[in-house]
Amino acid sequence: MIEFINVSKKYNHDVAALEDINVKIEKGEFVFLVGPSGSGKSTFLKLMVKEDEVTTGTVIVNNTNINKLKEKDIPFLRRKIGFVFQDFRLLYDRTVAENIIFALRVVEASEKDIKFQVKAVLELVGLSGKENFYPNQLSGGEQQRISLARALATKPPIIIADEPTGNLDPKTANEIFKTLLDINARGTTILVVTHAKDIVDGLNKRVIALDHGKIVRDDARGGYLK
Amino acid sequence: MTTNTYLIKEGYDNLKKHGSKTLSTMLIICATMIVLGIFIILLQNVNKNVETVKNEQGFQAFIDDASTETEIEYIKDRIKLIAGIKGIKYIDKDMAFEDAKSVFKDQEYLLDGLQKVKPFPASFIITFNDINEASIIKAAVEKVDGITKVKYNETTIQAVITISKIANIFLLGLGSIMLIISMFIISNTIKLAVYSNKREIYIMKYIGATNTFIRKPFIVEGAIMGLLSALLSFVLISVTYVVVYARLPKVGTSLGIFGFMPYSQLWYQILGIFIIIGLFIGVVGSAISIRKYLKV
Repeated sequence: MIEFINVSKKYNHDVAALEDINVKIEKGEFVFLVGPSGSGKSTFLKLMVKEDEVTTGTVIVNNTNINKLKEKDIPFLRRKIGFVFQDFRLLYDRTVAENIIFALRVVEASEKDIKFQVKAVLELVGLSGKENFYPNQLSGGEQQRISLARALATKPPIIIADEPTGNLDPKTANEIFKTLLDINARGTTILVVTHAKDIVDGLNKRVIALDHGKIVRDDARGGYLK
Repeated sequence: MTTNTYLIKEGYDNLKKHGSKTLSTMLIICATMIVLGIFIILLQNVNKNVETVKNEQGFQAFIDDASTETEIEYIKDRIKLIAGIKGIKYIDKDMAFEDAKSVFKDQEYLLDGLQKVKPFPASFIITFNDINEASIIKAAVEKVDGITKVKYNETTIQAVITISKIANIFLLGLGSIMLIISMFIISNTIKLAVYSNKREIYIMKYIGATNTFIRKPFIVEGAIMGLLSALLSFVLISVTYVVVYARLPKVGTSLGIFGFMPYSQLWYQILGIFIIIGLFIGVVGSAISIRKYLKV
């Protein structure tokens, strides 16, 4: 589903943000990407959605070599990946339902699909009945659920969550991860960048650790530190 | 709601969201359009008068007062034989007097005592094919017996043609400048609109929106702004022209010399030009300003 082959990325002439990365994530996996700040996690994500270009190597997403992707095809790559951000990135002048409809409009979904999907994803993330609330009327955890619902609405085969619980309390964080596991159980590949040690340790899933732009650990079942 | 109607609606909503900025932009564009409109109107009038001059203006050859009707017929036949003559029209003394009356429309009493005398001589209005042969033809007509005098204002005609050429060039230059200014203003407004929607654009890019999808609402916003400015300018300029035209003295129009065109001959040109320009600056202006925000 996601494959990095000999990938290096240099921003300046000498500093390598990522160096010789080789990693393969299969369809339906749940993977944690961990590491200290500046270890290359963000660069890893940016290369996946082609916000940045690799310096050398190949990135394959959903059976497509995205190095060769033309600029006009980038939107279609991104439709295969649902993004969840630490700061939610919601539209605060639109209701919960409208935030999700917004995503469906972008992918030019039909009117029928929009109606169906809004109801389905809100149910999935546990926000049924909150359609007409504005994000600011809801808690941080609920706002992250909107963001999750928005990512899911377009039915992407991959979900990337960049510190999804960074701004949330532990209890709410646990609930968000429970939802992510639910989504994973339905076959969606999930990649989570996180510093939430307890959660990583508790879930015992695959862990890829980055440090100074290199993979220092890739355990099929592991914890945050080991 | 199809994707396109959704995008048009988004554009319209943006417009409302940026209300006061939209309004001030539109007013500035209206101002530039009105200036442009005034020049178009002047130019159209100049061009029309030049055409009149070219097509209808000829010599006026005055006939000796002592000539009899048979002699006048003979003179007419003689003139017709001259090469390059397009047409000849006889103006008898009655008609000459009527024309004079229309010139003195408000002071007709001045002519009261002259009703019986009819002091204005009969004449031929002679038109010709090529304005360049005018002087040769004039000389030939002057030689015909029974013609006392030939009136031909060559310098005026040449001056009018030169003025119209200069006016055309001036309008083209002015039009281009106005177009650039308006486009700059619209593009600035849209730039602000794009900037205030930066967050949305960023999210859209991440969700997988194509550039066309992101661009459309802003293009619609620009187009509506341009179109509304065009219509507003059209209304303002139409009302002004109609009011001013009604107050203009009509002297001269009946004689085929300089006169302003009635608005019925002008409005569709003004409206057409305004709409085309409005849409053009709206669409191009917004397209320019979105470009750099699409790189994510």
